[in-house]
Amino acid sequence: MTPDQESLSEFHWLLEVLQTIDVGMLVVDLEFNVVAWNGFMENHSGIAPQDALERNLFDVFPDIPRDWFEHKSRTVIQLQNRAFTTWEQRPYVFKFKNNRPVTGTAEFMYQNCTFIPVANIRGKVESLCIIVYDVTDVAVSKLELQKANQQLKYLSRTDRLTALFNRGYWEELLEAEFRRQQRANRPTSLILFDIDHFKPFNDTYGHTVGDDVIRKVAEVTRETVRNTDLAGRYGGEEFGIILPDTPPQEAVLLAERLRERIEEMIVDSHDQRLQVTISLGVAGYDSELNDHNQWIDKADQALYLSKETGRNRVTLA
Amino acid sequence: MTAATEKHLDEELRDVLQELSNVAMGRAADLLARLLENYVILPIPVVNLLERAELNMALSSLEEVKSVSAVCQGFVGSRIAGEALIIFNDTSFNDIAELTNFAGEITPQIELELLMDIANILIGACLKGLAEQLDVSFSQGQPVLLGQHLSLRDLVTDQAGNWQRALTIEIPYRLEGRNVDCDLLLLFTEDSLKVLEAKIEYMME
Amino acid sequence: MSIPVLICDDSSFARKQVQRAMPPDWDVEITFASNGEEALAAIKAGRGEVVFLDLTMPVMDGYQTLERIKEQDLPAMVIVISGDIQPEAVARVKRMGAIDFIKKPVDATSLKNVLAAYGLYTE
Repeated sequence: MTPDQESLSEFHWLLEVLQTIDVGMLVVDLEFNVVAWNGFMENHSGIAPQDALERNLFDVFPDIPRDWFEHKSRTVIQLQNRAFTTWEQRPYVFKFKNNRPVTGTAEFMYQNCTFIPVANIRGKVESLCIIVYDVTDVAVSKLELQKANQQLKYLSRTDRLTALFNRGYWEELLEAEFRRQQRANRPTSLILFDIDHFKPFNDTYGHTVGDDVIRKVAEVTRETVRNTDLAGRYGGEEFGIILPDTPPQEAVLLAERLRERIEEMIVDSHDQRLQVTISLGVAGYDSELNDHNQWIDKADQALYLSKETGRNRVTLA
Repeated sequence: MTAATEKHLDEELRDVLQELSNVAMGRAADLLARLLENYVILPIPVVNLLERAELNMALSSLEEVKSVSAVCQGFVGSRIAGEALIIFNDTSFNDIAELTNFAGEITPQIELELLMDIANILIGACLKGLAEQLDVSFSQGQPVLLGQHLSLRDLVTDQAGNWQRALTIEIPYRLEGRNVDCDLLLLFTEDSLKVLEAKIEYMME
Repeated sequence: MSIPVLICDDSSFARKQVQRAMPPDWDVEITFASNGEEALAAIKAGRGEVVFLDLTMPVMDGYQTLERIKEQDLPAMVIVISGDIQPEAVARVKRMGAIDFIKKPVDATSLKNVLAAYGLYTE
């Protein structure tokens, strides 16, 4: 072979490799006209080369988010610095079907892309190469892991019976709120309450009926509190509500409304129509408190006073 | 840093690496300044040889920060390997959005876009600057989002791996007159250190 | 008579780089400083008619040094050699009295060109 033929044959097998490699490759000029692409792009898009080459990228792939793509490209060209995009930013740039159309769970191919400025011999950027990686498997397993972790987090924070926060997490929230108060010192209140005469009630009707009552009280509580309030199940029939940015006088109003609604509430359980009442204690944050436990104690004492003075009432500490 | 780690890194090597980083981060800052049209304050890069347990100390400048977002990206070339880590103070996003003329609500998705834009520039230009001076070239792997709105403590403890010691170069970038701070941390494997030493020795001749 | 030249940079490697980039036959007497404070003292002692000044340094950085030189009207021609290549940095140091700016890593040709432009060196 002559040297010319040799370099031609080398060029040929290089092209062959680019054409076959299982990674997408696309080259556009500065007006976003497709200059070259490889087999991966052709096969996954199902677009014939004659319908893509020399044509505008955004006509060939109308699904591409144009503004985003142009912004990335401009930065890459101006700064002559390659850019990487991940599937977390956008699941895909080119809307291709999942590489495993039969056994795959994802509908489309998740992609990472690399934008590479391509300079001519004089160092001027004249085109842009985009490399497309199929990262579907990685993305799917990461998303599943995230989902599982989220569920785990939810479960570890939630009381099974009532779906309110469980005691452990609710106390963490209270502690955090206490620390926030030490810095910010805005009026914040705490309500503790429990169901009156619950023990004898439980003994008379049985635990399943008792559980229904607790669940119903939790439901009414959830409906009564505001979005920013944090309600948790503190003990068996004891509940707590953290009311950020709420002065104690306002907390008393909310406590009173809750007391009334519970009083009016009817629990249908095992052919029984039952009514219960609750006793509540309200305590505002004050700087005398040393920690969140003292705050709970303060609310608990007010709750005790409600019990002492006849139950079904609200006491402000 | 503790005296114990300090003495392992030869003073001359540390000095050269600091100077090479200084030049590399200057180039990265120049690109960032052009993107954001805002002057970037250049710090003095901090070069150290750290045990894994001391990584949090390398992040000292971010110590007070409550919530961060982070991206890491591996690089390798000429028997030098490591990872680049961008740690972004979450309070920075408002100003970055303003500088990039982004109007509208800053969702986690927008934050991710901004984070990736800046990571691409700082990591890419810094590695290129270092590589050119050392006369090597690096391949960059796919970037990985370590997370958004993490506590710095979680970020450091979550990063599993079997490395024991690493050469770290920490570059805390700030924008003048803006509430933007982000740290670029380059971690080189222990094996890379010998190669770097040889390259630098060659440069000094 | 040799020209008193001061090289101010916190990195000894960078100081050596500047020294090596200087024309070999340039008749100078070199003093080193590793921060702005040392540089000011050297200039006052007459050892810095020409100053190669870095910008990012501990103790006293290049900007502060330029400010003092201007304030105290010290006789020094300052050429900034820095890795901070932002156009704003170049404009700033020139406003502050630096006669020129060379980007790091410094090379012999650009250094020679700057020196020649100000008549500090002729081949």
